[in-house]
Amino acid sequence: MTDRHHSDPEVPRPEGPYPPTEAMLSEPVPEALQAEQRRQLAAAWDAPKGWRYWTAVNNSEVGVWYALTAFFFMLCAGVMALMIRVQLAVPENDLISADLFNQLFTMHGSGMMFLFAVPMFEAISILMLPGLLGARDMPFPRLSAYGFWCFVIGGVFVLGAILFNAAPKAGWFMYPPLATEEEGVGSDIWLLGLSFIEVASIAAAVELIVGTLKCRPPGMRVNTMPLYAWYVMVVGGMILFAFPPLIAGDFLFELQRSFDWPFFDPARGGDPMLWQHLFWIFGHPEVYIVFLPSIAIAAMVVPTVAQRPIFGYSWIVLSAVGTGFISFGLWVHHMFTTGLPALSLGFFSAASEAVVIPTGIQLFCFVATLIAGRVKMTPPMLWIAGALAVFTTGGLTGVMVAVAPFDFQAHDGYFIVAHLHYVLFGGMVFPVIGGIYYFFPFIAKKQLSARLSRWSFWLIFSGTNICYFPMHLTGLTGMPRRIYTYPDGLGWGWLNMISTLGAFAIAAGFLVFAYDLLRPKGGQGQVARNPWNAGTLEWTHDIPEAKWGVRSIPFVRSRYPLWDEPKLVERMDAGRYYLPDSPEQKRETLITSVIDARPIQVQEVTGPTWVTLWAAGFTGGAFIFPTFHWYGPAMVSAAFAVVTILYWLWTSTARPPRHEMREAGLGLRLPTYASGPAAVGWWAVWITMLGDATGFASVVFGFFFYWTASDFPPAGSPLAAGWPAAGAALAYLASWGLTLGARMLNRGERSGAAMACLALAPLLAVLGAGALILSVLHLEPASHVYPAILWAIMVWCVTHTIPGVIMQLYCLAGILFGKLRPRHDADLWNSTLFWHFLLLTALVSAAVIGLAPRLL
Amino acid sequence: MTDDATDDAPRHQEEQKAFAEEADSLLAITIAPLIWCAHFLVCYCGVAIYCAKWQQAFSLGVLRAGLIGATVLALAGIALIGWFAFRRWDVRTSGDWVHERGISEDRHRFLGHAAFLLALISFIAVCYVTLPLIFIGSCA
Repeated sequence: MTDRHHSDPEVPRPEGPYPPTEAMLSEPVPEALQAEQRRQLAAAWDAPKGWRYWTAVNNSEVGVWYALTAFFFMLCAGVMALMIRVQLAVPENDLISADLFNQLFTMHGSGMMFLFAVPMFEAISILMLPGLLGARDMPFPRLSAYGFWCFVIGGVFVLGAILFNAAPKAGWFMYPPLATEEEGVGSDIWLLGLSFIEVASIAAAVELIVGTLKCRPPGMRVNTMPLYAWYVMVVGGMILFAFPPLIAGDFLFELQRSFDWPFFDPARGGDPMLWQHLFWIFGHPEVYIVFLPSIAIAAMVVPTVAQRPIFGYSWIVLSAVGTGFISFGLWVHHMFTTGLPALSLGFFSAASEAVVIPTGIQLFCFVATLIAGRVKMTPPMLWIAGALAVFTTGGLTGVMVAVAPFDFQAHDGYFIVAHLHYVLFGGMVFPVIGGIYYFFPFIAKKQLSARLSRWSFWLIFSGTNICYFPMHLTGLTGMPRRIYTYPDGLGWGWLNMISTLGAFAIAAGFLVFAYDLLRPKGGQGQVARNPWNAGTLEWTHDIPEAKWGVRSIPFVRSRYPLWDEPKLVERMDAGRYYLPDSPEQKRETLITSVIDARPIQVQEVTGPTWVTLWAAGFTGGAFIFPTFHWYGPAMVSAAFAVVTILYWLWTSTARPPRHEMREAGLGLRLPTYASGPAAVGWWAVWITMLGDATGFASVVFGFFFYWTASDFPPAGSPLAAGWPAAGAALAYLASWGLTLGARMLNRGERSGAAMACLALAPLLAVLGAGALILSVLHLEPASHVYPAILWAIMVWCVTHTIPGVIMQLYCLAGILFGKLRPRHDADLWNSTLFWHFLLLTALVSAAVIGLAPRLL
Repeated sequence: MTDDATDDAPRHQEEQKAFAEEADSLLAITIAPLIWCAHFLVCYCGVAIYCAKWQQAFSLGVLRAGLIGATVLALAGIALIGWFAFRRWDVRTSGDWVHERGISEDRHRFLGHAAFLLALISFIAVCYVTLPLIFIGSCA
């Protein structure tokens, strides 16, 4: 250990030449050195064998598991759709009971959206992004693995419920009062199971945003990064603002289901409309969260088949970012018939029409690229062409239903079913399958069959149109959604029969695709390294497969480096570029700056472990046990989850490095440790907390929503105690100040004083939480929505105090045991950042609880 | 900002400046859509609260006029952002619409171009959202 460094207040910074000159790049690497470097890398990135295979955290393993699991859930939800279609094929059918039918359509929708569409984006991004960026792995491999295991547990729990006839049956959007009043555990399974999966989505969003911003290869500036990365960044940001409102809604909903707090019960001042708002503030951006990353695949495939750079790169960035924003102004178009003021409907109708502009622009860019290039109808391109056709059809009916008066007629009918399936097939299913055909040689080092692709494509393409086109007519002739049967003589029978036939054609196409995907391909021989002659970095992958990701991390100067720099692959293979070795046989990747991708740090990344499985299992218990009102086991499980996660963090993250600097190749020496804004971990906390703050804002929105909707607070009702609320604000402020002070004192090498601060701060935090509880303790949350929402805000704040206190104690222990040092203080920076947000939460909570009811 | 292709050497104290500097310039392209967002929220919340609580207090015409005033402000703000972005893009002197080279100059112009396009779409979207304020005159 070099003591000189960690007592040195000067933070080490990159040393040596950058960017590399052509002379440096053309200097050969000796053969013996290359062999030794390969040996080191292979040892560092070796995949675990035997039953330890499941401890892998590498993006190439986790990504494949993730994708296959999502595909499996999709097949399950698809079988449910077939059952629905069989039931509806003829009038007055009694094959399936009304109750089972309700479960089927609820689980079909929930499964497709939560267990297939969004996770498939996460899976493909985890799988592909490091390759696209020439990175070794994502910055937080264990977080990906944890997210994946959470997803598996939650998915099996939610989807498995239907086997026990216990599945939710109130529709995939769980509208109260139907869903709040529903007997049995169905609604609870939906709320808790899917909240649990949303945690995995947010974990993936954090991973993907940080990966895109900080793990690009040197030289890959924002104007040269693959468009897929732009889309991933936008979608990651959207997840942060879209999912938390739903989590907040789930939180309120479950409080009503479990404790009878009347958030959605009009008899006690509640309002079912709040759920609709929170659900669709999530639900509409969700559509674009599903669509954008899929169309991003098209943005990768199209230049390759056209053999020319994408036309209108800036315009596509505009499309992605613009759609990301405007899609948040659309949610009420799902609520056009709920009696909101006409003027309000007008705003959302206008925004729904406006979003067509950026959505359309990217499609025009693709078409322009294809027109300008020499297109070969390869299997991926066939699917992308199908996607453009089907999506455009769905988009046109979208323009129709965005017009409120038309929607009044079409609402809750089969016209909407037709519209949404066209959009999702064209906007997600087709491009994703095209992407699988395109990326398969990268993922599996094998080729899929062109002949089976054609079979599968034409079955699914014709099936989509045969199944969904008649639904426009069934809808226009008045057939409502979610009815398990219908009388003869309304003219719906033959249309439904055609739809059912189409559904089976789709299913047949999927069977062909699944067979092609899973059939043994041992006899195929070695696949070409760059079979489509693409220009982007993922096609520098090693054949046969090497686990290290890239042999050396290239210096990139253009959007299509493989087309523009003929010597790139040869130099990468020789280890001419960055991080060509791993002398300590550690897993490492390069961290670069956000805008211009200048190399700034070598980051050690974590390796195989069981701890992520344990953590996911215990987290699962904490979410799943409350479904059955087993609160004791849930608490125990949550406590174990905390302990496992703490063990994981303590043993493998932000530990002081053995060497402060590392030779990164081409004469560049880079620091190996970073804290604060320079550290990827700090960015991850920042991004997570942005999402968390959105969730809290949604709960507070609830308070003001009730204020607009009714007599609130009701005349004569007791107010929260003002002084304890004010005291709570002060205590949180003091605890935050001490945490911040500890960080500064620690930097100034005054470890003793820092420890004193960190010992006192948790006490004040607990005091603050206690005072906040005290301020609402005399109110009866089940009596009316006014005390209930105050209690909910209190519970939210107090629950967040628990990790706040744990972090303070964690840092205290860190200083005590030498994990956290004056300059190796990443944990303290991250904790302080968390506390900035917690302080904000506490001050807003205190103000809303103690002050707002007195002022309104 | 220099136009030099070799201005890429690591800068002094890059780590500390990283967040502020870099996040700022990437977030800068989102200012125009954020203005759209703020305008949208003001319109939606204003109308929602008015129709629920304040119908007795003053006429809807007053609110509509106020919100159209907000539109004018928003459009002015977006136009200003768009103008700065247009100058940053600098297409009139460079003639560059593609910005595909891995040098600072292209990245600089690209961010200008993207910000300009986003200002354009935000401008159109604000106009769209204003249309109901002009044409619809009641809470019903």
